[in-house]
Amino acid sequence: MIRKLLRDPLAHFLIAGAVIWGVLALAGDPVDPEQRKITLSREQQAGLALAFERTMGRPPSDAELDARIAQWEREEVLYREALRLGLDEGDPVVKRRLATKMDELAGAQAELAQPSDAELRDYYRDHGGDYELGGMLDFEQAYFPTEDAARSAMGQDRPRGDAISLPRNVARMRSADIERIFGIDFAEAMMRLGVSPEWQGPVPSGYGWHLVRISRREEGSIPPLELVRDKVERDWRSNTIQARREKAYQLLRDAYTIEVE
Amino acid sequence: MRHLLGLGVASLILAGCSNGAPGEATEQQRGDGTDAIELAEFPDRPYWGDTHLHTDVSVDAFGFGVRLGPEDALKFARGEEVTATTGMSARLSRPLDFLVIADHSDAMGATRRLYDAPRMMVRDPTLRRWYDMMHESPEQSTRAVAELITAAANDEIPEALRDPERQAKATRELWDRHIDLLDRYNEPGKFTAFAGFEWTLMPGGNNLHRVVMFRDGSAKTGEVLPYPGLDGEVTGLWDYMDAYEESTGGKVLAIPHNSNLSNGMMFELTGPDGGAMSADYARRRAAREPVVEATQIKGDSETHPFLSPNDEFAGFGTAGWDLGNLPLTAKSTPDMFAGSYVRSALLRGLTLEEQLGVNPYAFGMIGSTDSHTALATGDEDNFFGKHTGNEPREGRAMEGQNLGTRVGRFGWHYLAGGYAAAWARGNTRAEIFDAFMRREVYATTGPRMVVRLFAGFDFSDADWDGDWVHAGYTRGVPMGGELEDRGKAPTFLISALKDPDGANLDRVQVVKGWVDANGEAREKVYDVAWSARPMDAASDSPVSAVGDTVNRKEATYENSIGAAELRKTWTDPDYVRGQRAFYYVRVIEIPTPTWVLFDAKRFGLNLPENVIEANVIQERAYSSPVWLRPRKTPGDAPPIMDKG
Repeated sequence: MIRKLLRDPLAHFLIAGAVIWGVLALAGDPVDPEQRKITLSREQQAGLALAFERTMGRPPSDAELDARIAQWEREEVLYREALRLGLDEGDPVVKRRLATKMDELAGAQAELAQPSDAELRDYYRDHGGDYELGGMLDFEQAYFPTEDAARSAMGQDRPRGDAISLPRNVARMRSADIERIFGIDFAEAMMRLGVSPEWQGPVPSGYGWHLVRISRREEGSIPPLELVRDKVERDWRSNTIQARREKAYQLLRDAYTIEVE
Repeated sequence: MRHLLGLGVASLILAGCSNGAPGEATEQQRGDGTDAIELAEFPDRPYWGDTHLHTDVSVDAFGFGVRLGPEDALKFARGEEVTATTGMSARLSRPLDFLVIADHSDAMGATRRLYDAPRMMVRDPTLRRWYDMMHESPEQSTRAVAELITAAANDEIPEALRDPERQAKATRELWDRHIDLLDRYNEPGKFTAFAGFEWTLMPGGNNLHRVVMFRDGSAKTGEVLPYPGLDGEVTGLWDYMDAYEESTGGKVLAIPHNSNLSNGMMFELTGPDGGAMSADYARRRAAREPVVEATQIKGDSETHPFLSPNDEFAGFGTAGWDLGNLPLTAKSTPDMFAGSYVRSALLRGLTLEEQLGVNPYAFGMIGSTDSHTALATGDEDNFFGKHTGNEPREGRAMEGQNLGTRVGRFGWHYLAGGYAAAWARGNTRAEIFDAFMRREVYATTGPRMVVRLFAGFDFSDADWDGDWVHAGYTRGVPMGGELEDRGKAPTFLISALKDPDGANLDRVQVVKGWVDANGEAREKVYDVAWSARPMDAASDSPVSAVGDTVNRKEATYENSIGAAELRKTWTDPDYVRGQRAFYYVRVIEIPTPTWVLFDAKRFGLNLPENVIEANVIQERAYSSPVWLRPRKTPGDAPPIMDKG
């Protein structure tokens, strides 16, 4: 139970908050001169130099690095003093920014997390429809510019139809591709027709009318998890981040009583 | 106050952790798609995409109010439903096949950071004013961005926003996360997510913007950062591109756009310094910029009635946009137009090629949206606006839409946006990028018509009875290709199939440009195929108008006129041996209503008559040209087609 709790990102979130609160509660008012000590570590300096190099394509000169350090110092000093002066209070942007950070805190855990098999399977079970593949058909079609022309060719053994830059024979095509090539109306009508050695139709499309002979039909299906695992994981992550944020918020929110007068 | 410090600590810890996040894109998704899927023998279908989409990472898009980011943009382009910033649910009726998210490289993410920053940290007085405007109201926010764009145009951007070093760290984080996200959404064979950015060079407000598009996945694109451009030079961008290719072995191209807002500067006859153009400049430009975006929301750049007075279909999407440069800080005069439109640029290219031995303006054409809403919408009945300020709502059609303060451009001048079609053997980064490089691409103003163009010397009507696509590829060159003059008029196989869910076709035209014996650049538009006319007696040009079935009130039309497909084997009747020429196909649909009439119906608007009539249009497609060049002599540029 404890172990499970320790793996739960939400627990991390709450524990981190408690620790920080505790540390700050012990720290007392920050008036000690020690509080005015700022250290820029070697690593941080290397970081500044690297940032320069990444944009400019060369390492900074000593003077350029000094300038960046000076800028860093300036920002740090002003930032700390501003906090001391309470300039952050009552500022709607600070408020919004921090609220966003809280959201990101809750979500960030999910960005790192690797879902377990069970979690992924659960997600896949609930959202299977997102991965559904449309039905697949094998068919032959003949094109006619008008419904009358199509009807009068209906009795023929092998209606020829008019020339058009559309495939005469179509093999193993999914409904999405049928829709892309022949248009939405045609694809919908085709998915309602059954396999038959006879010519059927006329079926309307964005181009005109078609006589069709459907030789094979596979119903739409949801592929097994193994085949769409990457996608499921991506969607699980994006959903989990959102859910985490909501849950974290609800936990915090429940501790408050808010009266809107 | 204590709590604030604590949170700072906590978020630092977390930020530290997230750098080590395990990547979840597969090896295939991270690559360029080579060997990932089975390819067709020849390009067998056009893949549809938008190469020019902005999200909340763009400095202006964020300021205009968009709160959707790159992930929403990718989901939406793949066909999923998302909630637009203003709260409406949005979905494409048909998904796209590829997407280039092209957020501005200058101050990438900066307005977002400015917006999110503590107010007291915003020290620059101008920035602080924009900051306050952004927080006051959506209207003020839009105004702040308009000021920002004008400031950028006038070279008055506050140092804090433009200093690349100061931006670098933030940009690094943003870019690394971004290219990782792209890999996760990149699915060879299904959907291609390209890395890219917009390079926003704009001297004096004249639009010289380029979209930069990478062929590669994060392993290579992670080696660089987007290149900032406000005060650069275009040769600097090409240097950056050269360096990228040399150091990573990857590939990258640039797509100029909105030449219509450049006041003649996009396609100059001179070099960028005003002196004569050098052969080196021309060669680099041709190699780096194989494709131009000819149509998008902020107008169409094919040609202007002033330049093409004999072209009855000229002037599509030029109204309003031809008044001046991007922020309307400088007016346009007709003498500028030849440098602002693509047809005249193609002509200039021929002239320059005679002088320099290389054609700087031998480019193909695509359309895109330039939407700043993270929503790549191109259809008239689904227009989500240029930016969040004009997502669907009652007033958007008639409001002034001037980036600056001068008047003249209104909501109804916006086009619904265009799309890019790429003829490729499969849907991967490598295949689609390579189609752009060999210019086997075309532009549409939104509808998805299927346009084929092959050029050769021995095509005939009999080819239509067999596998004419095979014939086209084996006995000729496709759009974007080059033919060497053989002392014989070139013949073209041209086919245009309507959008299966759209309007019928009115006609197919060939636009020819050439340099005559006096060295003068000339152009001519040929009607080569057209639908049956009700009382069609004469088949000579000019072909009579197709008619008009648009119900202005209901925003509907009937496909009772026009054709489903138009085909033609066409031989140039005015061929002259030894003349340089280009030929491109323009496909014209029957008249249809624009988004403005759909808005009028939806919101019950009473629009002025002139606005109603301006919003019954004939949508179109522009193929990339085929060039006819004199027989090769030593020193000519190598052929473009790469069959390897």
